[in-house]
Amino acid sequence: MSPRRVLRIARWEAGRNAGTIDRRTAILLACTLLVVALVAPALVLSAPTPGQGVYRVAVDDANPYRAPVALNDRLSAVPPGANAVERGRADVAVVGTSGFVVADSAKGRAALAALRSATEAYNDRLMATENDVAAAFPVTVDVSYVERGTRVAGGSGGSAAIDADDGAGARTDDGGTTVGGGTTADSGATTGDGTGTTTAVGGGASAGTAGPSVSGDASAPANTPGGLTPPFPLESLLLAFVFVLPLNVVIQSYGSSVLDERVDRRGEPLLVSPATRADIVAGKTLPYLAAAALVTVPIAYAVGAGVASVLAVLPLAALFLGVTFLGALFARSYKELTFVTVTVTVVLMAYAFVPAVFTEVHPIAAISPLSVVVRDIRGDPFQLGGFLLATVPVATAAVVCYGLGLGVYREEDLFTQKRLPAKALDALAAPLTSVRRVGLLTVALVPFVLIAELFAVASLFVAPPDLAVPIVLVLVAVIEEVAKSVHVYAGFTNARFERATRAALALGVASGVGFFLGEKLLLLTRLVGLSDLTVGGAAFGNAELGAGSLALLAAPLVLHAVTASVSALGARRSARGYAIALAGAVLLHLGYNYTVVTTVG
Amino acid sequence: MDSRLVLARRELASLRREKTIVLALAIQLFVAAFSSVLVVGLVSLYAPGAAGGAVAVDVGVTGDAADDLGPVVDRGDAMYATYYDAERAARAGFERGDVDAVLVADRLDSGRTYVDATVPDGSFATTVVVSRLKAALSRYERQRRAALSTRLDRQPLDLPPERGGSTYHGFTYTVLIPALAFLPAFISGSIAADSIAEERERETWDLLRSAPLSIPEIVDGKALAFVAIAPAQVACWFAFLALNGTPIHAPLAALGFVTALTGLLVVGGVAAALAVPKHREAQLVYSFGALGAFGAASLLPESPQNVVAKLAIGSPTTITWLTVVGAIVLGVVSYAATRVAAARAATT
Repeated sequence: MSPRRVLRIARWEAGRNAGTIDRRTAILLACTLLVVALVAPALVLSAPTPGQGVYRVAVDDANPYRAPVALNDRLSAVPPGANAVERGRADVAVVGTSGFVVADSAKGRAALAALRSATEAYNDRLMATENDVAAAFPVTVDVSYVERGTRVAGGSGGSAAIDADDGAGARTDDGGTTVGGGTTADSGATTGDGTGTTTAVGGGASAGTAGPSVSGDASAPANTPGGLTPPFPLESLLLAFVFVLPLNVVIQSYGSSVLDERVDRRGEPLLVSPATRADIVAGKTLPYLAAAALVTVPIAYAVGAGVASVLAVLPLAALFLGVTFLGALFARSYKELTFVTVTVTVVLMAYAFVPAVFTEVHPIAAISPLSVVVRDIRGDPFQLGGFLLATVPVATAAVVCYGLGLGVYREEDLFTQKRLPAKALDALAAPLTSVRRVGLLTVALVPFVLIAELFAVASLFVAPPDLAVPIVLVLVAVIEEVAKSVHVYAGFTNARFERATRAALALGVASGVGFFLGEKLLLLTRLVGLSDLTVGGAAFGNAELGAGSLALLAAPLVLHAVTASVSALGARRSARGYAIALAGAVLLHLGYNYTVVTTVG
Repeated sequence: MDSRLVLARRELASLRREKTIVLALAIQLFVAAFSSVLVVGLVSLYAPGAAGGAVAVDVGVTGDAADDLGPVVDRGDAMYATYYDAERAARAGFERGDVDAVLVADRLDSGRTYVDATVPDGSFATTVVVSRLKAALSRYERQRRAALSTRLDRQPLDLPPERGGSTYHGFTYTVLIPALAFLPAFISGSIAADSIAEERERETWDLLRSAPLSIPEIVDGKALAFVAIAPAQVACWFAFLALNGTPIHAPLAALGFVTALTGLLVVGGVAAALAVPKHREAQLVYSFGALGAFGAASLLPESPQNVVAKLAIGSPTTITWLTVVGAIVLGVVSYAATRVAAARAATT
């Protein structure tokens, strides 16, 4: 790969975006961008919420509960009248000063709960005007989050969490990142105004007694019960949107550009130029990767995240580009490309978002790059293990995507119309020039296995173990067996190998050995203690065997070689033969895993 | 048969024939369903009422205000107070797992009670424990306020009664349903732009024009297919949600609104593809245009998300209905305008 050529192609690619746009397009683009630029600040200022006025409360203007209703965004006041609730005009009616008529429905009860929390917030506001603060706020509370077994305090505050029930909407608690000892100990509701946050104290001595003497009784305290914010996960959803949606625009443009090359053989001149395929692909990708970085950095800055966040999001951006690249090489039309792009966005967004929900709650969150961002924003200490687990699988998967795509970035594949699965098989078969290459490709597929298995664990760990463990075992067996055999099948269909029993056995063994070695990547999960989970152990226990005896070390190797050979023997014959053999291999694998989990685990 | 319908059917057939598209839709459906189930499940787990009966929270109470605080804790849903004489003993109990949280409550001279709460970190129970403690301590705060009421100039309002309603009930209606309603509409607009841009890039557009169809009829045929599929998808979502115990109160009005928005977005996509010759630029114009239009619409008295949420949850106001009617009128008018503009562009 020559850097000079890569840069020239990159410059050309970037210039093509700017240079060849005709005047009308430029004006249109400028207009739309202007509208976006004008609307964005207005939106930030007015901050419309989708939940505005979804619950209706019948209350007259003189009623004391009129004020709490006005205070809460989700509540809207409707004029009282005879049978407002019965007639469906309102969900809750306030009668007199203490009577409440509630619609007999989930919505009615939810409306009452909203009114209740609105009243609490209103009371807190009312009390804030009192002179006798100790009587107005007679309870103050400090929360320390303590891991059982080791008394390490703090670390996980809810202070940055989105305040989903606006009980404390009036007060903002800007969690104190104070206190010595190197740990940032921000407990749920502590502002920096002096209330001693309980810091790390060994052995369980009394840590809270320092608090009362320090906390001044002069002003309204911030650490009232109403100000407690339980760690609530939805901010990661917001982050997923903030980081991922702009990437969506980048990949749309990128996919379009790659597919453009394939329309009317437009990419041919480049292919016959002295530039290698890698030069072309790297050059075409570079501007978009730069664009992704340019988009990510200001966003990270805006949400208050640092370098670690950018480093965590960039591999995700690379995977976005990588999968889009493959999609654009496989797609037959722009329409198909749009669907591929949407699917990529949705799947990767789910992968980024779902586990990150559990940041601060559960180690499973570490698999999502967004959890690094969440931790970074909260000022939690940087964890190398979690960072590696979040970024390494994603980054390696991106590299593998490009590796597979490079294999089919050639004349006979670029300009032919084939169905997507057939193209995918072509891409898998392209690098298979020898038996050894089969093993190497298996290793390359391991990041995808890791991502799929992590996602399976993330989605199932909430379920009861009795249900989750069998499902995870089945999923793991299916994922691993497919990863070990799908390229072998591709090799046979593309006539890379002779359809003979000996060849099939050799390929199976090579693939099995490759997987056995690649599987060691799963040891990453050790870094965050994911295998301590019941489901985690079921999924990843296999990679850790071998600590004990030589027999245990050899067992997974034998398993992988045997099952891969079984499916390779089937793949040798036909698609149906492959399906049947694959099912057999999955069953074998399942039986083995079940034995391991029940006897060893 | 009407030649426009033939074209529309051709578009739908091309979507169906490319099975990968069906696959892509299926994946979308799976992931969206899966994450919504997960989110709704989580939300109900965190809601104090919903998890109330399920997980018991044992709280160790100690300190000189413990006798006061303990009964208040006991009154909570599935919360049980265990009294300890000394803080050390309470912390030891926490370490052993006898209790899930420790509250050390001390009464100060001012009458204020200082509570030092210790909760387990890094476990799934943390959120449940903290939200229960919050409820209990708020209850205790009200009780203490009442006890000290003679020192207050104004009295706090009595809280409305508790009926086990979830404060997160609205989440499904205000976040999930609008998202599910608008995603297909955006995609429809996008593939409408694709369809026309593709005809122009591959130079089959002139071929299509030589068919016995006028330009407005071509626009009709293309748009019809894409406008039709979005409400169909949303209707599936609504049915799916209704089966899962989330009734949609005005499904027809909501679908009408979605159809109008889809019409607007498809018109936008078609217009972008007609105005801009290249696919990529057309997509960019469409994406940013849609984003800007959506942002601008959010500044209306009732944003599109809010309209869908209100129709779905059953709290529509006059403004809601006006917005729906306005969207439909705007959709029809801009559709007609695009047809005329397309015809004019073709003749010049």
